[in-house]
Amino acid sequence: MAEDHSDRLFGLPPRGPFATAVRAFRRDRTGMAALAVVACCVLLALAAPLLCALYGKDPTSHYGQDTPGLLSAEGLPVLPNGGISAEHWFGVEPGLGRDVLAQLLYGMRTSLLVATASVAVIAVTGVVLGVTAGYLGGLADRAFGFVCDVLLAFPTLLLLLALGPVVRTRFVGPGENEPAWMQFTVLVLVFAAFGWVPLAMVLRTTVRALREREFVEAARAAGASRRHIVFRELLPNVWAPVLVHVTLALPGVVTAEAALSFLGVGIDEPVPDWGRMISRGSEVFYDDPTYMVFPGVTILVFVLAFNLLGDAVRDALDPRTAR
Amino acid sequence: MTGYVLRRALQAAAVLLAITAAAFGLFYAAPADPALIACGPKCDTGQVEAVRHSMGLDQPLAGQYTDYLRGLVAGRVIGDVDGTPIDCPAPCLGYSYTLHQPVLDAIGDRFPVTLSLAAGALAVILVLGVGTGFAAALRRGTRTDRLLSGFTLIGASVQIYFLGYALQYLLVYSTGLFPVPQYAPFGADPGAWATGLLLPWLVLGFVNAAVFARLARSQMLETMHEGYVRTARGKGMSALRAHLKYTARGAAAPLAQLLGLEAGALFGGAFITETVFGLGGIGKLAVDAVVQNDLPTVVGTVLLAAFFVVLFVALADLVVALLDPRVRLA
Repeated sequence: MAEDHSDRLFGLPPRGPFATAVRAFRRDRTGMAALAVVACCVLLALAAPLLCALYGKDPTSHYGQDTPGLLSAEGLPVLPNGGISAEHWFGVEPGLGRDVLAQLLYGMRTSLLVATASVAVIAVTGVVLGVTAGYLGGLADRAFGFVCDVLLAFPTLLLLLALGPVVRTRFVGPGENEPAWMQFTVLVLVFAAFGWVPLAMVLRTTVRALREREFVEAARAAGASRRHIVFRELLPNVWAPVLVHVTLALPGVVTAEAALSFLGVGIDEPVPDWGRMISRGSEVFYDDPTYMVFPGVTILVFVLAFNLLGDAVRDALDPRTAR
Repeated sequence: MTGYVLRRALQAAAVLLAITAAAFGLFYAAPADPALIACGPKCDTGQVEAVRHSMGLDQPLAGQYTDYLRGLVAGRVIGDVDGTPIDCPAPCLGYSYTLHQPVLDAIGDRFPVTLSLAAGALAVILVLGVGTGFAAALRRGTRTDRLLSGFTLIGASVQIYFLGYALQYLLVYSTGLFPVPQYAPFGADPGAWATGLLLPWLVLGFVNAAVFARLARSQMLETMHEGYVRTARGKGMSALRAHLKYTARGAAAPLAQLLGLEAGALFGGAFITETVFGLGGIGKLAVDAVVQNDLPTVVGTVLLAAFFVVLFVALADLVVALLDPRVRLA
């Protein structure tokens, strides 16, 4: 009952905060452009099999080795600029001779899959832990702060680097080939294990301030249960920082995943992966610089669009930071 | 102030202890058998057992952990693969059976590289990041602001591995504008030291400066309109002086904290930068150790990196307490 009255009693403003934010966002041209690029990336990733079928290539065939005239005896593309041709628009991979465009498209799927899954876990963990610690306060809050301090002090990249193999060996016997979904799961879990901390810390501070506000006090005075206060009074008020954090965390996971693959412990062959393309590109960089330019520029555009989108979302939700 | 310092030091020590336990638990509880790796593929079962015993791996985990802690504080003697004792003085981080030397020595050999890289990058971060942030805030809303913000956004989005290789190709390989990145000891030839590290400094600094520029800008904008800045301006102080004297101080606390975190991270090794530029620092050591499953080195570098983060974050907190009396009195 209390749920129904709390909204009606005070009445919603003519335009809700969400509608206001959407309006502000629509007026932000940079933000809309970034959203278009991001949407385009998601579409490309989803439609990768279709596009590759139209394009007539797949990301795993070794075209350069099967078709004579594409790769030289040293495994370098014969045609200039990394072997760009009407047949292979972005050239062919040195050595194995796979199609670069097809690999990029499928690599986007890898990146987006890992990033969205990690961010989803991060959001849920961060919200649950941050709101709980902020609301309970006292000993729980102190324990939370300590755990955050410890996790923040760990060198994240090094731990990601070192933990992947450790977690894997636990579930995969020696000599066994681990399935691709296992690699994905391990990556997601390791990213999530460290990624929730900043979000939870922000939410804890927000909730601590909200807890003392009149509407929460009123709910408490009206006899609302703890569950009601957390889910119906506090949670609806923290979605803005969560949304901002999620949009900005996503490119962070994409780059971290690429960095891991670049250093040699990410997703294994034959799953296409941007970081591994960069790593391969760095080996032949001086002979075939083009091969690295494509994944490098793709990651740059992708991350830039997400960062711009995150900024626009934050500006739309928080008028104080508006330019 | 003394009370604050003591409390902060105690907290840092507690965090460090928890980190040693976590790192130890994470890696030594792993099923990847360190004895097997240390012994190499030619060992038979008996030899592996002997190695396991001399490494103390047949003891319960808690015992191994207390041994490790004792080694950190007081040093200890570790058995080599063939059972010969190796003296490992405090602070003992263990013995690397892959590198055949105590982990601390391996770290010490490579630390000058990491230290040089981190110091130069921090200088670039401070000048470039805080400088552009302040300039953008002072010129808020103008074309300069948008240009600087765009510049920092690129820094926030570009990846070290891409930028590093691209610049090496353009500036070193194609045009020869920069010397080949390499490490020359500072003591031997300061000039070669600086020129060899110039490109890594700029790349690492530029990529990390973005966060600082954005934070500096938003902090400046927030404090600019505080009453005390307006008062100073009202009393006739020039805008630039007022902002440098009052706004900058008001905006410094979050920047100091971020800088502490950044410095801690850089001193623990710049994994990607070192790989890209072929510099043999702590980051390279750690990455190699992970690839070769050299557990004592992995744990040692993790602990070292965590130690630096805790140390610099605590130092930053002290700076903040000096700047802002509200913090130390709370």
